Order: sequence, then C-alpha cells, then structure tokens
Amino acid sequence: MKKKKLVKYGKYGYFFSIPFIVAFLFFSLYPIIYTFVIAFTDLKGLGTELNFLDEPFANFKSIFANKTFLRALGNTFFIWICNFIPQIGLALLLTAWFTDKRFKVKGAGVFKILFYMPNIITAATIAILFKALFDYPMSPVNDIMVSLGVFEKPVEMLQNKMMAKGLVSFIQFWMWYGYTMVILISGVLGIDPEIFEAAKVDGANGVQTFFKITIPNIRSILLFTLVTSLIGGLNMFDIPQLFLLGGPDNATLTTSVFIYQLAFQGSHLYARAAAASIIMFILIAVLSAGMFYIMRDRDAEKIKKEIKEAERQKGEEA
Amino acid sequence: MKVDTIDQKKKGGIVLKVVIYIICILLAILSIFPFWIMMVNATRSTTEIQQHAVSLIPSGFLKNNFAVLTGKSFNPLVGFMNSIIISVGSTTLSIYFSTLTAYALVVYDWKLRNAFFKMIVAIMMIPAQITMIGFYQMCYKLGLTNNLLMLILPAIASPMTVFFMRQYLVAAFPFEIVQSARIDGAGEFRIFNQMCLPIMKPAIATQAIFAFVSSWNNLFTPLVLLTDKKNYTMPIMVSLLRGDIYKTEYGSIYLGLTLTVLPLIVMYLILSRYIIEGVAMGSVKG
Amino acid sequence: MKRRKWLSGLVCMTMATSFLAGCTPSNGDDANGGAAPAEPAATDATTGTAATEQVAGNAEGSEGTINLWAFTDEVPKMVDKFVETHPDFHYQVKSTIIATTDGAYQPALDQALQAGGADAPDMYCAEAAFVLKYTQGDAWQYACPYADLGIDVDAEVKAADIAQYTVDIGTNPDGQLVGLGYQATGGAFIYRRSIAKDVFGTDDPEKIAEIIGSGSQSWDKFFEAAETLKGKGYGIISGDGDLWHAVENSSDKGWIVDDKLVIDPKREAFLDLSKQLKDNGYHNDTQDWQDAWFADMKGEGEKQIFGFFGPAWLINYTLAPNCGGEKVGEGTYGDWAVCAPPVGFFWGGTWVLANKNSEKKEAVGQIIDWITLNTEEDGLQYMWANGTLNGEGGTKDCVASGTVMSKSDGSLEFLGGQNMFDAFVPANSYANGKNLTQYDESINQIWRDQVRQYTAGEKDRDTAIADFKSTVADKLAIDAAE
Repeated sequence: MKKKKLVKYGKYGYFFSIPFIVAFLFFSLYPIIYTFVIAFTDLKGLGTELNFLDEPFANFKSIFANKTFLRALGNTFFIWICNFIPQIGLALLLTAWFTDKRFKVKGAGVFKILFYMPNIITAATIAILFKALFDYPMSPVNDIMVSLGVFEKPVEMLQNKMMAKGLVSFIQFWMWYGYTMVILISGVLGIDPEIFEAAKVDGANGVQTFFKITIPNIRSILLFTLVTSLIGGLNMFDIPQLFLLGGPDNATLTTSVFIYQLAFQGSHLYARAAAASIIMFILIAVLSAGMFYIMRDRDAEKIKKEIKEAERQKGEEA
Repeated sequence: MKVDTIDQKKKGGIVLKVVIYIICILLAILSIFPFWIMMVNATRSTTEIQQHAVSLIPSGFLKNNFAVLTGKSFNPLVGFMNSIIISVGSTTLSIYFSTLTAYALVVYDWKLRNAFFKMIVAIMMIPAQITMIGFYQMCYKLGLTNNLLMLILPAIASPMTVFFMRQYLVAAFPFEIVQSARIDGAGEFRIFNQMCLPIMKPAIATQAIFAFVSSWNNLFTPLVLLTDKKNYTMPIMVSLLRGDIYKTEYGSIYLGLTLTVLPLIVMYLILSRYIIEGVAMGSVKG
Repeated sequence: MKRRKWLSGLVCMTMATSFLAGCTPSNGDDANGGAAPAEPAATDATTGTAATEQVAGNAEGSEGTINLWAFTDEVPKMVDKFVETHPDFHYQVKSTIIATTDGAYQPALDQALQAGGADAPDMYCAEAAFVLKYTQGDAWQYACPYADLGIDVDAEVKAADIAQYTVDIGTNPDGQLVGLGYQATGGAFIYRRSIAKDVFGTDDPEKIAEIIGSGSQSWDKFFEAAETLKGKGYGIISGDGDLWHAVENSSDKGWIVDDKLVIDPKREAFLDLSKQLKDNGYHNDTQDWQDAWFADMKGEGEKQIFGFFGPAWLINYTLAPNCGGEKVGEGTYGDWAVCAPPVGFFWGGTWVLANKNSEKKEAVGQIIDWITLNTEEDGLQYMWANGTLNGEGGTKDCVASGTVMSKSDGSLEFLGGQNMFDAFVPANSYANGKNLTQYDESINQIWRDQVRQYTAGEKDRDTAIADFKSTVADKLAIDAAE
C-alpha cells in the first residue's frame, strides 16, 4: 500500500491563479496592447484611426532625440535617488528601533501610526501646502528667514532649480518613509520569534541582531521594497506635476510628467507618449532584473525543496 | 573598570534613547502638520486663506464653509457611500485574490509558475498614464461608464499586492502546517482559507491599508468614468469644488478635504492595530 | 475565532457591496427614462436643494432627455432656470459636471463625443483655455452650427450686439457660428481712487485712462505713470502676471502660424516689460493667485498697489472678497474705479456648444438661444447682468450682449458707484478673438516659465527664448519658424 499514489498538487497552482488571470485579461490586456500598438502609429490629437508609420520606430527615435525627455530622465533618477536613499535609511533605522525590545520606545505604537500619515493625505493637498510655505514674496518660510536675518529680503526660492528638485525629493521622502517603514516592520513581525530568542541567548547585541538576524530574514521584503520603489520612483508623477508643473525650467519634470504632458496636453501626441512609456518600461524592467539578480538567494530552491518534501510526506501517509 | 564600562554603556543607552525620542517627536510633528493646516483652513474663510494660506490658529467660519459646501452639489453622504463601496470592495478583492495568487506562486510547484511570476512583476512596471487611454476607450465603447464595478473588479488583478504577498510568504511561511493539514485530510482551498489567511494577518493589514488609501484617494479614473452625480466619490466632489476657477471657495474645499480624509483616518486606526501589535507567525504553530 | 470573523465579515461586505454596486446603474437608468423621477422638476433653484438634483425637467409628456456636459454647476443651474420658466418645454435635462482642475473634463468629454449613442452629450460647455479645440481645433467636427439648431444667427447676433471676440472664437473653420458665451470677459484697468487722487490729483476714469494711455496700443504711457507712482512710493501693478493677459491678447499673431511656432514681437516684448517692472521696482513682484497677490488687493503688500488688469468677474469674485471689507470705508471697498486699458484683452469665459450628432437639435437650440442670444428681460443675460438670476441682489456681471448691458444697471458700490458697463462695453469690443490657438494653455505655461527664469536672473534673454522654442518643440512637436 505504501507510495500507492503521489498526490499531484501542482494543478492547484493553476486553479488559484485563475481569478487573477481572468481579471487581468478582461480589464488590463486591451489597454496594454493598445498602448503597444499606438506607439507604432501616428496617433495624435483627437484621432481614432490607427495609421501605422512607414518607419516603425520613428516615434522611438524622436523620443531619444528629444532633449526634454532626456533631461526628464536625468531629473527622474536624481529625484529618485535623493529621496530613496534617505528614505530606506530612515525606514530601516526606525524599524530597528521599534522592533528591538531592548529599546522599549515608549509610544512606539503612536509613532508608527503617525509616520505613515503623510501618505494618507492626497498629493494635491501636500503640493498646495508646500507651494504656500515656500512662496515668494510672502510666505511663512520667507518671513522666518528674513526675520532670522538669513535672507536680506524675500528670495524666490522656487525659481531655483536645485531648490525645486530638492524640495520635490524631500516631499517624496517625507510622504513615503512611513510606508516603507510599515512594510519593513510587517516583514520583521513575520520572523519567527524563536530566532530572536536564540540570538539573545547567544548574547548578540542590538546591532548584531539587526544585521545578522533581522536583515537576512526580511531579504525578500527588502527586495520588494527596492523593486517597488524603483518602479514608483521612475514613474513619479503626482508631486512633480502638482507642485510646480515640472518647472521651473523643467527642473522637476519627470518622465511621467513629460509623458502626461505629451499625451494629455497641448498637441495630444499619444503615439509618441506611448513610445516614451515603452522606453521607460524597458528601462525599469532591466533595472529591476538587475535588482532581482543582486538580491537573489536560495529562496526558490528552498521552496521547491519544501514543496517536494510536503508532497512526499503526504504521499507516504497515504 | 568593569563598572565603568557598564556605566558608559548605560550612559550611551540614555543618549541614544534621547536621540530616538527627539527624532521621533520631530517626525511626528512633521506628520501632523499638514493635517493640522488642513483642518484649521476648514474653519477659515476663503479670504483669510487667500491672504495667508498657512495658519496654525483656527477661525470661526466652519458653519459658513459647510453651508457653501452643501450648497454646491457636495453631498457628503452620497460621496461617502460610493467611496466606501468602491474602496471596501476593491480592497477586499485585491487582498483576498492577491493572497490566493501569491499562495499559488509559493506553495505549489507548477510548470508556468516562474513565467507567471515574472509576468506579474512586469505588469507592475508598465507606466500607468498611457494605458489609461485604452481603458477609458474600452469603458466608453462598451458603455461601462458610471458602473462602480469598473473601479472594483480590476482590483482582483493587483500585481503589486501579489508581489508583496509572495515575498512575505517566501520569507516566513511555515510549510509544515500545510503538511500537517494535508495529513488531517483538509482540502487545499480550506487550508488556504483557514491556515494561510490567518497567518498572513500582518501582511494583510498593511496591504489593506495601502489598498484602501489609494482606492479612496483615487481621483482621475473615477473622474473620467463616473460622470453621473449619484456615483460621485468624495474626491470627485472636492475636485468639483475646485473646478469653479473664477470663484474658488477655499474654505469649503479644505472642509471637503477634511471630510474626505476623516473616514480614512478611522479606517487606518482600526487596521493599524495589526501593524502595532503584529501577530507573529510563530504563534499559530504552537 | 476572532480572526475568522474578521475575515468572513470582510468577504460578506464585499459581496454585498459589489452586489449593490452592480445594481446601482440599472436603477439609475430606470429613474432617468421612467415617467416618475425621484424628485419633481427643479422648482426652486434659489435654495440650491432642487438644483442639486441631476435631472431637471417637466416630466409630464416628456419627449426625452437632453445630456448637458459642463465643468461647473453654473450652466446646469441656468438650464434648471430655463426649464422652470418654460413650462411648455417637454424635455428633461441631465447634467454631467466634471471639473477642469484635474484635467479630466476633456478626456471624458472627448471619449463621450467619440463613443456617441444615447448617453452622448447633446450640449456641452468649453472654457476659454480650451474652447478653440472644440470650435476650431481637433474636435471642431463635433460642434453643430447654431444655424442648424434653428437659430437665425446673423440677425440675432446683430440685434444682441454680441462682443465680436466671442463670435470669432465661436466660429468654426467653415465660417459657421458654433459657440457663444453668456458672459463677456473683456478686460479693463481697475485702480484705486485714493492713490489716483494722491498721485495724479484726480480719480476720474476718463482722466486716468488718458494718463495710462488707454487704447494707445502701447505701454509707454503706462510705464511713465509707473515712474510717477514710484515717486510717491506706490507700485502700478501687483506682479507681471497682471500684465500678461493684456500683452498676450494684444499681439497681431497667435503662437502658431502655418503650423510653426511664432513669437509675435508684442509677446516677445513681455520679456522686457516684465524685466523693466522688476528692475525698476514698479510692482511687488507677486504671482497671480498667490498670497502676496491677494494681499495687494487689501493694500497690505510691501507697497501700495495702484491697480489690476481684469474683467468684471475679477472685481466680483476676487477683488471684492479680498479688499478687506464689505461696505464703503472698510478696507479698500469703494475705493476702486474702472477705466479702459492701454491695449484691449479678454480673460476667461465659457462657451456653449451643441453636438452635431444630437437628435434633439431644436430643443437644444431653444436653450442655447435663451442663454446666449436672448436680450429680453426674462432671458438669461438680462438676469445675469442685473444679478437677478437667483433673486434680487445677486452679483452683477458683464454679459456678451451689448444690448442687454445698455438697458441694465452696472453700478457697484465697490466701484464708488461707477457703472462698470460704461468701461466694460468698450473693453469687450477691444478684445481680440483672432490670435488664439488650441495650444495656448500649454504654450503660455512654457513661455511664462521662461520669462520668470529671465526676470529672476536665472538666465539671459536669448537663452530664455531659445529654451522656450526647444521646449515647445519637444513637448508639442511644433517647431519654431525660420
């Protein structure tokens, strides 16, 4: 009777994926295909007819030759790096403080809740608020700086390109560090407490525990954070568009804002915007693949082994 | 000598603690600041706001702003109901089916598994703006505008949530419980519902918050698809208030924004219990 | 156990909500098509309660539903009034309002026009910033000529003495009129009487008009006046944005000629005017719609500001609420007067269009005629001009019809009792409707950005112009001429 049948569970993988696939096919496939198709046409304005270009990659060529696009690409990376590094740094630090029982941070719960709050408020509200704060010639920041004697007279801060980029980076950082922290904390909470107990018994201090136990155990969550932040950062749209409309002098123009302005304003250059979107998609895909490669681990093999083990045991029981 | 080092360690600990508290309190103030400004502005007159957009001191125009708000086709109850239907619906679908899909990706070994995972990650990377054109076109051509389901059902396929759930499962899913449940003769679907979902609670709570917040604040898609007044969501109503560009009533806009954010805060506080306490995976095993 | 409850509760809730959601639209359709809408026709627009109902109409013997698309509730409320005052009008009007602020109105309207069918708009509104797209640009094919709506265009436009610029903007490439407004937004110079007396010894609009060079088509006298004002510690305007609308509209050519980008010399001169204002300290260097700009209306900026350029709505909705008072003697209330500007211009406005594919053209024509061309005392414009649309004592505004304004009283206490129509009727006729393109909103934004860079000292004049051209080429695929 032993090993009479080896139960095949693989089919459940297909079953459980059906809802996702159906919803995807129904709601998203057409829009995605449409985007890819129009990149090879001359669609613009209010046109609905698709005329394919004689030279299929003309739109792509024109995007690569577009100085404003290249500039937007540079801005996007600059703003993303300037907000992501401090963001992940602070989030990791806070995670370490809040999850380490040794610190016993009083009110940690309240802090955790509050830090995510900037993410709840709509980007439009935040954009208006920051514009008002740094306005010229009358604004709270200008008033304070003048009364402190830092500025002799009000300064048109938002006309300064570095200042504008820095502010957009700061807003992004401030809106998202709490989100990143919440994700990392949820990852830490998923770690088996016994592991921490064992580390404690072994006499590991806080720093050691964090780097030797916590970080390796939340590696897959870290990968998620890195990849989603890369995607979110390179598609950054709300704040740059709402805060300064990509200005001054295109200093805060990100590729997404550029694509939006191409497609939904002015000449409504849908085809070119679609080509720019595809270029961004490929760029993001390549960079993400790099991240997956760097962060790769034995997860896959480990799971496979465990599944096999589970199926074998079940088979044995039967 | 030994006493000294302990003392120093203690001192160092205290200094570190002070630093922690200073940083946390500063960040907390930064977090509360925009909410405070928004709520204060909800009590100020449009003129007061135009003269000084940022103020920390409330004024006495709350009632006035509310009258303007409700006089301008802003119906908080209708907006609240529509927003709740869309947000609760899409959040629940997104969480449940994303967890199910992630479970399929992690627990079972099937031929197309890796290809499917790669596809999901790739979908996530497609820039959203342009694909929306195709989506609107589809909705208008098929006459599916003003249908709340068009804002709820697509949530079944939420690649980012699947990705997160998958990473979470990979990091910490105790495969032993699947084995033992199978030995007890439980069906696969039951194992998912009764074993996996409870274990995923911290992950579900965080993703539920994110999904709910983004669905609640989602403006552009509803704005284009829900053109009928009885389907308006809260953000659409606020957007309409802002639309009167020649005579913008800022006081009532801030009041509208405040009313929009209040349910979110309540929802967040309810779910945040799970972020604060967390239910460690280990606890289920024992 | 608790856990499971929590989850199953959520699942139940979703099912219930999705079920509800699935039902809503069909219920809605019944209500629209059926003979008994939930609420009776809008009977009292003044209270605002009935007006918020989306379907207004005389349901008895209804002949169908007219779909109206708008970006504020202004036109829908007018239509409610029309339905209310025309018991023999047997259509219901269903209003769809989508704000322009978040950029959703145009995509939604374009999709709805393209998709056609029973839900397609029969009547739609367009704002000055994008009206050209719907009357002469990409979407002009959808606009139905007024003549096809049963309106005797030539005779009525003449009888109503409609401001020419609104007609020019509302005329399609075939020369047919497809859109008109109800409001006139011709701009004037609105100045402070007390400052005028202090500096020029008079506050008489005609004298001040002379001093600032009204109608001279040049800014020379205006800048002379600025120098005089500076001598007494005043600024002539608040910021360069105030000047822009006048400069933009005074140019001979629009931004685009024969598909090429052209910088009209008068628009290019804005760079120098703007720089001159800043270098000489003739203004407070504010930006429109920001704190400091509003403060100048109250006289609380760095220095007192003489005046603002703008149409009647700027007085009603912006200056009056921000003047720091509500009756003469408070703040700057009553200290203002209006005179003709050095160059004519207009700022803003709403145009009403009909869909070529509408099956209810005659009914749509009746509404449009009542809104845009009727000069009777029970027509929309008379009520609008006299502030009686929602009962006595409402806001008086300039209207498109000169005929209506000539028999209306435009005197405002805010203007020290001056009849604003005396200044705005000529202002409307100076405004130019022929130098506009459908790309103006985007191009103006790029231009103003570069001008600001130049005046802030971030770059020199030639670089600003070169960057303007290259940005327009990159973002709009419109190359510069030459």
